[in-house]
Amino acid sequence: MPNNVALCAEREYSPHAMAKRVLVVDDAIFMRDIIKDIFASGGFEVVGEASNGVEAVERYKELKPDLTTMDLVMPFKNGIEATREILRVDSKAVVVMCSALGQEALVMEAIEAGAMDFIVKPPRAEDVLAVVKKVLGEA
Amino acid sequence: MASIDISRYLTLYVSEAQEHLESLSDNLVKLEQAGSTGEVIDEAFRHAHSVKGMAASMGFELTAKLAHRMEDLLDAYRALKEKVDRASVDLLLSTTDALLGHVRASAEGKDVGDVSALMGALERKLYLLKPDTSPRPSAPPPASVAAPSAARGLGLPPRYQIKLKVAAGSATPGVRAFLAHKRLSGLGNVFDLRPPLDDLKAGRLADGNFSLELESTFHETEVRAALKTIADVELVSLKVIEPDAPPAPKTVEPEGPRVVGQEPARTVRVRTELLDQLLDGAGELLLATARVREVGKSVPEGARGVLDSEVDRLNALVKDLHAKVMKARMTPISVMTDRLPRAARDIARRRERDVELTITGAEVELDRAIVDELNDPLLHLLRNAIDHGIEPPVEREKQGKPPRGRVQVNVRREKDRVLLEVEDDGRGMDGDKLRAAAVARGLLTPEAAQGLSAREALMLACMPGVSTATDVTDISGRGVGMDAVKRAIESVGGTLEIESQKGKGTRFRLQLPLTVAVVQLLLVAVGDETFGLPVAKVSGVVEFPEAQLAHSQNASLLPFGNALLPVYSLAALLTVPGDDGVEQTRPYVVVEAESGKVALGVDRLQGQEEVVLKALSRPLDLVPGLAGVTILGNGRPIFILDVPRLLV
Repeated sequence: MPNNVALCAEREYSPHAMAKRVLVVDDAIFMRDIIKDIFASGGFEVVGEASNGVEAVERYKELKPDLTTMDLVMPFKNGIEATREILRVDSKAVVVMCSALGQEALVMEAIEAGAMDFIVKPPRAEDVLAVVKKVLGEA
Repeated sequence: MASIDISRYLTLYVSEAQEHLESLSDNLVKLEQAGSTGEVIDEAFRHAHSVKGMAASMGFELTAKLAHRMEDLLDAYRALKEKVDRASVDLLLSTTDALLGHVRASAEGKDVGDVSALMGALERKLYLLKPDTSPRPSAPPPASVAAPSAARGLGLPPRYQIKLKVAAGSATPGVRAFLAHKRLSGLGNVFDLRPPLDDLKAGRLADGNFSLELESTFHETEVRAALKTIADVELVSLKVIEPDAPPAPKTVEPEGPRVVGQEPARTVRVRTELLDQLLDGAGELLLATARVREVGKSVPEGARGVLDSEVDRLNALVKDLHAKVMKARMTPISVMTDRLPRAARDIARRRERDVELTITGAEVELDRAIVDELNDPLLHLLRNAIDHGIEPPVEREKQGKPPRGRVQVNVRREKDRVLLEVEDDGRGMDGDKLRAAAVARGLLTPEAAQGLSAREALMLACMPGVSTATDVTDISGRGVGMDAVKRAIESVGGTLEIESQKGKGTRFRLQLPLTVAVVQLLLVAVGDETFGLPVAKVSGVVEFPEAQLAHSQNASLLPFGNALLPVYSLAALLTVPGDDGVEQTRPYVVVEAESGKVALGVDRLQGQEEVVLKALSRPLDLVPGLAGVTILGNGRPIFILDVPRLLV
């Protein structure tokens, strides 16, 4: 966790940083598309997608994105396990959970596991961008 | 801030939600058979959950609410590890069907129906399972990760008193507060949390306020920076207080066993039309390559070496591409068979049969055109097996059979064919009754009927109007019957055989090709007959008055572009009677023949159709001018003409 703080501070001092690179993880293409469009509208670059936890970890290793949005409930490996694994690979990973209302307990479990924040489905562009900009120390 | 136009996602929503609901219904049928096995119920829960999320995002509130209730019920069963009883499966299946109805209604922009009855039923069920509506077991207490102990060498670290407030509009104040708590506990040790953690997590905060003390080696600015990264949580105050307590013992959360997921295949979704277009394109490339080779023959011998080898190379590449496209079209048979268990259950319940359905070999792959075509026939065969084959349990017991009937769908690959069998252990088919029915309908003379072998007699069931069903149910035996099944199988180049033993059961054997040869045909009529001309060979079609044709010696000539093309009457070439009539304007189809373009006079044009080409077997393959045969969508078999050979 301390590392994250340091990293955020660093980012604040680079005003001409390139668009932040995002990995979007959700088992519904539909949801991924919505989230992708939101990121595109906020000036982020979506560099990859994954439809389950196993794929998420793989894509993370490959892409090293600045930010990963992670669905909670997915086949093969759920979002919490995937988050744990990603953080094991890269302790600086910034993972933001995507959850539906009513999943508070799971979200807290994910936060326990190291998720940096969460956004609520259905995602609203303003909320999503506010959360991720905060998390990345841009706001 | 960009706003997202949700309607753009409708198509995707519809197709994906439908898939989830279909899988969900499969899961439910499995649940009933197997009881509450963790994996199946987890999967069912996931599907319901996905549908809820999608529907909510699309703004379909009723759909989302209904899916949510369903999810709750599944979750309750999951938590209680209780077997899902039959009534609940019924309720959950009805809910799934209602949700499917919602999705379809949304696709058409219609309103969804009333869901209150289903909602009520789901809620009652949930209440019976969990009367105390106890909340989910909360997550284990946070493991505090202490600051590096080396930093503590010089006495106790500073302690901060921090007051925070969750923004008033937050939908999830508990989680927001917990996030802040977690973020801070990552910087050191948290003491004196107010309200206590359980209340905080549950969102029981006075006006969103909470406070804590943090003992941390981090500098104040770093603590402030960390809090800045949390949306919707506001720092009310932060001050340094004197250290007065020893640090809490460091605890490390034991790591649970890791679940190693199976490696999922990487896939992308493409529209099926695109696959069709790809195949068309690859087919055209094959033809174009052949044409280049033809043109090459006019190049002088000496200069042809390089051209020929390059054409060979091109040909090999195109063939390889074609093969890959064919492969991409291969679809596992499970696409068709996955819905059979649900269908079997419904039919069996309605007809009060007890049936066990087993499916093997669903992983075998077939061209998607075949899979598409066989969907309904397979369902029909299943219906037949349960409805007409399997006897009611009482009757079965009287005959010394187990009360539960068995229907098996077995698929396997045999060389370049796929064998699909639908087999039941029911009452079997009666060849004599079929013979009698065919005679009664005037389809056969009594002599012809008696002359049929036992196997041929069973095939009478596939003639229109012949059915031995003594009762007409809403499930099978009405109009669209075995004749449609047989036609569909044959239209993809397959064959159907029936084996049956009275009292023992029936087996339908489908032999299917792995792939299909699809051609675009121009359908032309000569007199009463229809023939197909491959569109790829057709250069154009013109209507022209017969009286205005030019003549040279004994041939008629049709002006086409800048040329005069020799005219042939298709009726004369095929020696079939054409329409009578002089001085008429008739269509001429301009086709490529060996000697160049020719015009074929026909009586009528009947449109275009994409068909599956079937090769002719002996002795028809010896007839010059026939390229093959196909069965049109209307069930009519027609010949496909090989024009160059027709003119020889």
